[in-house]
Amino acid sequence: MIFGLIMSNKSNEEIFVIFEEISNSFKRENQYFDILFDSVSSVRIKKSLTEESISINAKKSGIVARTFIGSWKEFATQDVSELKNIEKKLPKVINKGEEINEFEAWKINKEIKPKINPSDIPIEEKIQKIRDFFNYLRKYDERIINPIIFYSESLMTRIFFNNEGCQLRQVLPRIRFFIQPVVKEGSTIDFDYFSTGGEKGFEIIEEILDNKLEQIAKNSLEMLKADTPPSGKFPIILDPDMAGLIAHESFGHGLEADQILRDRSYLKDKLNKKVASEICVICDSPNLKNELGSYFFDDEGIPAGKNILVEGGILKRFLHNRHTASLLNGIPKGNGRRESFAHPVYVRMTNTYFEPGDYDLDEMISEIKYGVMPTRGYFGMEDPLGGGMQCTSKKGYLIENGERTKLLKSITLSGPVLELLQNIDAISNDNLNLHGGTCGKGVEDFIPVTTGGSFIRVKNALISPG
Amino acid sequence: MNNEKVELIRKAIQSKNVEEYEIYLISQQIYETQFLKNQIESEREINDLEYIIRILSQRNIETGIGIVKGNSIDPKEIEKYINTCLLLAKNNSTSKYNFPEKKSISQISTVDQKLIKDPLRAKKEICEELITEINEYKDVTPTFGRFRIHIQKRFLNNSNGIDLDNLRTFFYLEFSLKTQEKGKLSEYWESEYIKEREHLNFNKRVEKWARISKDNLKAKPPKSKKQALVIFSPSLLKDAINPVVGFQALGKAFHEKVSKFNLNEKVASDNFTIIDNGLLEGGLLTNAWDGEGNAQQKNEIIENGIFKKRLFDQKYAILGDTISTGNGIRTENGSITNGNTNLQILPGDISLEEMISNVKEGYYIEKCSWLEPDEFSGSFGAEIRNGYFIKNGRFSNPIKGGNVSGNVLEMIKNCQFISKETEFSSNSLFPYIAFPNLTISF
Repeated sequence: MIFGLIMSNKSNEEIFVIFEEISNSFKRENQYFDILFDSVSSVRIKKSLTEESISINAKKSGIVARTFIGSWKEFATQDVSELKNIEKKLPKVINKGEEINEFEAWKINKEIKPKINPSDIPIEEKIQKIRDFFNYLRKYDERIINPIIFYSESLMTRIFFNNEGCQLRQVLPRIRFFIQPVVKEGSTIDFDYFSTGGEKGFEIIEEILDNKLEQIAKNSLEMLKADTPPSGKFPIILDPDMAGLIAHESFGHGLEADQILRDRSYLKDKLNKKVASEICVICDSPNLKNELGSYFFDDEGIPAGKNILVEGGILKRFLHNRHTASLLNGIPKGNGRRESFAHPVYVRMTNTYFEPGDYDLDEMISEIKYGVMPTRGYFGMEDPLGGGMQCTSKKGYLIENGERTKLLKSITLSGPVLELLQNIDAISNDNLNLHGGTCGKGVEDFIPVTTGGSFIRVKNALISPG
Repeated sequence: MNNEKVELIRKAIQSKNVEEYEIYLISQQIYETQFLKNQIESEREINDLEYIIRILSQRNIETGIGIVKGNSIDPKEIEKYINTCLLLAKNNSTSKYNFPEKKSISQISTVDQKLIKDPLRAKKEICEELITEINEYKDVTPTFGRFRIHIQKRFLNNSNGIDLDNLRTFFYLEFSLKTQEKGKLSEYWESEYIKEREHLNFNKRVEKWARISKDNLKAKPPKSKKQALVIFSPSLLKDAINPVVGFQALGKAFHEKVSKFNLNEKVASDNFTIIDNGLLEGGLLTNAWDGEGNAQQKNEIIENGIFKKRLFDQKYAILGDTISTGNGIRTENGSITNGNTNLQILPGDISLEEMISNVKEGYYIEKCSWLEPDEFSGSFGAEIRNGYFIKNGRFSNPIKGGNVSGNVLEMIKNCQFISKETEFSSNSLFPYIAFPNLTISF
């Protein structure tokens, strides 16, 4: 076996040969074994009033190998000369092969090609584009004191082999773009934000024209006049961002089957029971096209599929990785994910959303006498055991006598999530709208995801200023 | 310590006649055990290395900074990184910047030698100690947990003669203890970076987890109240103070015109003193030098309610015509940001027990789901995860659910009580503080 100093310099064929040899040295009938190569290169540009930062991550790579011998043993390294230590670090045993279910072996070698490959755009041009956005916003209104612009592109390669015969390679381009014009008037400082991203190329930056920037500027400036939201229980309408936050943070984390194994989910005994209003369909799917949470296979070599989690208000399934599927007799659909080779694999969500319904948004608003519409999902936190909910929006609107009226500052939504899901009485017929972000398992292990849906009306929910 | 990889990169940079450069290299070993209930679910060992090259291109009133991160030590790859870094430096345009000069920096020990000597054995011993302690409590059950030992070696070398190294150890601990009775469930879930082995203190820590988990089973939603008096635990206080007071004190906030703190003006109550202490004994971010190689210091930010000092990294110090306070923090992408080291609020003169006994009606909050205040305005609203309602000077009943909302910048102007007791929580050493004028809603 030939060992070089760095893995990213090796051809795919060389990596395939090395991985096959290592995988085959662990007999499947005795134990499950897999090995993953992870390489990421990225460009980040940040511009603000006092800062212009351009950094390149030049193809950082590493490998992680693991085996199951009653518990997992895992060894990760960025130094390929340590490949030879895998057999020393991971013990060989007999008769543990059946403790992890065997799944069908498959092969894939796929790269997503964006419309405009970011690596074809010279760095000077990218920087100039960011400076142009900055200058436009800076000049738009003197109350915009600091337009913060953040651009990030990455190219991730993952190669996965196991001792079941999986031989997989995928190359995924991801791009993210964020604008936050900070505005100030007197002592009031606030902002709104715009973000976009996906498994796409530089075209998403080219699509941001002056009229879009003007709207972003206006949205931030409007926040200077926003009112403090009321506290208490009101009818609410969630925008797709907020609906997605609830589907993911408050509901989805409780469906991750490692929480079921841990006896740490409020949904453990709810399978095939009613958990939401019958108009709700909630899904998680890594095989949507070009979304931030999409891929061909997960970090355990399972092909990306679609999980219909809730249908007609009934909880249909949990999210699985190889381990939980083996112990709970589940079918994994590609939810075993790692942040990088240096992070553990867990059951994770991907693109999580409410399917659109058949109501008209205007009609939904018109039926509310006094209520609130939190918009622009900002952050949320899971409570898998308790089923509690905290989702905070950056802004919102008051609804008075069937009309959207005053702009409101940040709003926090809380209470039992199942109560909220049962109280949904209308879902709009707008197209599915997904919003990219990152998700941690607790406070670590951040992975790209999207969340979304359409507009959702809840009869009664607890809100307070965020 | 010397590092042959740093030397290899340095020679490659010098061979290109680069005048101003910096190499920051970090290598780390991580040893982790994950638990499913009280059994080992997974054991992981990670060896990682990466380095960052920064190159400066000086122009009249500006500087271009190139930043490249990588982990290859192949000479050809290193050469490519340097060329890329030169290109970035040529195209970047930021305010005037130069690397710090070599200074005498005193050594601080940030390492637990026992962990270095045999990390796997140390991890096994500590995990056994933790599980033994947890198994003492028959009425609570662990659902999952993670324990990690981190060993980090860091090297910083620049063209101004700085040549520093540091060996550092710390822990990560995450555990959830659950209580179950008549179909009702509750848990206490903690995740924390911890610097010193003595701070693990499983005896006290697990007792607290178990007590709160059991109490939480009987928790009621809080009674809605405006102008409520609320006592914040040290870890909740960290979530409130660090993103707001920590941010407002930065040179970056001042130069971006978003700081509400003016020097020598009153911004907090007389009993409130907060220090950014880069030399704090047992502090998670304690080190002799910061991410750029400037000496970390003990800086009083607010003294008896008066804003005394801004915190600068090299860049904002140059902008403000002053000197760095050792607050240049290395970010994940290799750039430097102006940030906090360890924050320390000086204790008061009343015990937590006395503080509670002085409250006729109020709330004690141990944990919220995610406080996340707005750094500009200080406003927040968060769901209460673990807490107690205080009635006539004692805990009346546990509370869970409902929201607490308020404004951190207003809260610190009125610290009604500050406890004698202080506790570490990540990079903070804080007391318990009672604030009036918060809103509890349900």
